[in-house]
Amino acid sequence: MEALGERIDRLLAGPPYRTPPEERSRALLDILKDELANACARHPGLHNYVHAWPCDFQCAGRIADLPYLPAAMLKAQPPLSLVDPGAITRTLTSSSTTGQQPSRIALDSPTARRMTRGVVAVAQDFIGSGRRPYLVVDVPDSIRGQQELGARGAAIQGLHPFATEVTYCLNQGPNGELTLEQERLFEFVRTRSHSAVLVYGFTYILWKYLVTPLLAQGITLDLPEIHILHSGGWKRLQDEAVAKPAFNAAVAQVFGCAPDRVIDFYGLVEHVGIIYPDCPLGNKHVPAFGDVIIRDPLTLQPVAAGEQGIVQVCSVLPTSFPGHLLLTEDIASLVANDGCPCGRRGVAFRRIARVPMAELRGCGNIDNRRAP
Amino acid sequence: MSDFTHIIDSPAQLSAAAERMRQTLMATDLTANTVLDVLANWATALGSPETAEIPGVAFLRLWLRRTTLESIITRELGSRALHAAWIEDGRGRLKAFPIGVVGHWPAGNIEIQPLLSLTCACLGGNASLVRIPSALVNPTRRLMQKLDEADPQRVLAGRVFMAVFDHARLDLQDAMARAVDGAMIWGGKEAVLNVRALPFPHWARLVVFGPRVSVAAVDADTWCDKHERKSWCRRLARDVWQFDQQACSSPQVLFLESRPGISTAEFLQDLKYAFEAESRLHPRQTIHPALTSAICQARASWLLADTANRAIFPATPDWTLLVGRGSAIPKPTQGRTLTVLEVDDLWHPISRFDGNVQALGLAMSNPEQEARLASEAARRGVDRIVKLGRMHLFASPWDGLDLIRPMVRMVRQVPSTE
Repeated sequence: MEALGERIDRLLAGPPYRTPPEERSRALLDILKDELANACARHPGLHNYVHAWPCDFQCAGRIADLPYLPAAMLKAQPPLSLVDPGAITRTLTSSSTTGQQPSRIALDSPTARRMTRGVVAVAQDFIGSGRRPYLVVDVPDSIRGQQELGARGAAIQGLHPFATEVTYCLNQGPNGELTLEQERLFEFVRTRSHSAVLVYGFTYILWKYLVTPLLAQGITLDLPEIHILHSGGWKRLQDEAVAKPAFNAAVAQVFGCAPDRVIDFYGLVEHVGIIYPDCPLGNKHVPAFGDVIIRDPLTLQPVAAGEQGIVQVCSVLPTSFPGHLLLTEDIASLVANDGCPCGRRGVAFRRIARVPMAELRGCGNIDNRRAP
Repeated sequence: MSDFTHIIDSPAQLSAAAERMRQTLMATDLTANTVLDVLANWATALGSPETAEIPGVAFLRLWLRRTTLESIITRELGSRALHAAWIEDGRGRLKAFPIGVVGHWPAGNIEIQPLLSLTCACLGGNASLVRIPSALVNPTRRLMQKLDEADPQRVLAGRVFMAVFDHARLDLQDAMARAVDGAMIWGGKEAVLNVRALPFPHWARLVVFGPRVSVAAVDADTWCDKHERKSWCRRLARDVWQFDQQACSSPQVLFLESRPGISTAEFLQDLKYAFEAESRLHPRQTIHPALTSAICQARASWLLADTANRAIFPATPDWTLLVGRGSAIPKPTQGRTLTVLEVDDLWHPISRFDGNVQALGLAMSNPEQEARLASEAARRGVDRIVKLGRMHLFASPWDGLDLIRPMVRMVRQVPSTE
């Protein structure tokens, strides 16, 4: 029987969005079952969890029936790992709100390699495969961690394979405040105008530290061949009443390009290796090596097209941590199971928001106890 | 046709409503007997199809019966209080008078709670200003419509004002607190602390209920009895289901006395069947995604934490049994998630209770053992020790407090001729 790694690599090598959904589901289901069996053999806690599931995963006829793990379980310390500690080459950490534990993702070399290939396969379907100058709207310290890398660093580094050179255009002051290095930015633009350029930044950082100050000064950069990728969520922009069309128009105005050059993508550190950029119709698509299931909160069954639910992400890429089937804390709507006019096959969805913080309600709500 | 519920936008609306009700109180005396007649009519009216399906209405109808409330009045205020008569007391005499306008801040998770709170104050002859949590506006409006129909003499119409405003409107919360002479505050920690900090008049009497948890316990003889245990499992499932396990009287954990050499597997199977049956009988109509998320996380973290732990649950978030050993009360998940913990002796968990435990639901075969555990639980802060299946029976005292007496003044008169 073909080794698991080879089967994953074969999926990675193909075009990410051309496989018919049924064919893709069959291929994924077999691999995911083997990965679950592997995870159970390596982690007694996971074995306990999977075997308490209401149905035997080996008998599952669809991905939606496989046991999934809440993504919050990856906040465990030490990290949930499926490999020996000596095999872990890097630990990714998620951004976390104050007082919350970040997720900690243990990567070994094969998983890290597949993660990079996954991001490249997805991204090149949207921006092309050529290498180009890469402008990062962040500070160089974002990727300095050797053993541990945060969410911003992971996103920045995931796009390195497209770079001929990397320029960071923000500075960090002594109190942690970020500022735009305008001279460095203008120098970057001066020598690369009218050539292909890649820009990446966290959505809010891009808006606050580059777009807003340049808009205020009436500055337009002359980079019509640019692709601007951004990620990290819209909550803080929504708080400032900035909607996506206005954001895209403002970013395009500042960079001197068309608004369709601005691409928002959805991604999770816990699901590293797969990103979900917006297609021209504003939908997000699933590559051949993963899947997305939107689950009805009332039944936890997959929703029909047009309905909203909790997002479950699936990926065959990780073998060093149990990130194959993760129930996220995001809400999305299922646009279609196939047939997006952009031509990409399979599920098309749109992220709506985070699930609000789970909290106890009512007079049965005790979240702390009397000190002993 | 009047409507008791009012959308509030300015502090003046609240102070004006309180002032109107205060004038009504001064103008007319209201006996408990008269209130009981109105409430009994209301109980009948609530049986109509428009309200019968609102969660908790079956219980509310029982609560509003004359026999139920009369016994509470008699116990708390004496039998003559029904007719607003003075009671001889040594050289003087005593009579219960209303404290005035009572503000009610009910919890947002129990449809009938605004009305339970309201009736306690009404029976003391008070007027009531009730803030309706946003989630309860619709059911409250429907329930109050039935009161309107049941009260053609408009006995309570001038004494009840249901106010609808966003909980974040501090100016309105302040105005409501300033306008009342007493308050009944129910709910979770944050809500209770916020309300208690409002600028009440210095004479205002505050009664606070919650937040607390409740616990069930079953001894080995009971669960080993194959004939009896199915019935106990059904009772426990009912206690878990009511109020979606969000009430302070909802059991969050079951302590199960183990018996050497006998597996609890058959008992757990019966408990599973009871949960499935209750779920079929009372299927969830809606759920907040955060609760679904919390239920999924509770299942996973329980099973990942210890390979000796077990769990039983369906593919849906409908219910969950988390099974293990231990004497500590775990952090509640709610949403019909019951942790079943085996212990060698029920004394061990009960002797660790603190003031957080409101009710202990028991299924015991040995009365002496039950009495011993009940005494220990009471010493440890438990206020209600009841039979499993009756954990939500709202009766006086609740949380160790009388329900009517805190909102009346016992006025003593000693005649000058004495």
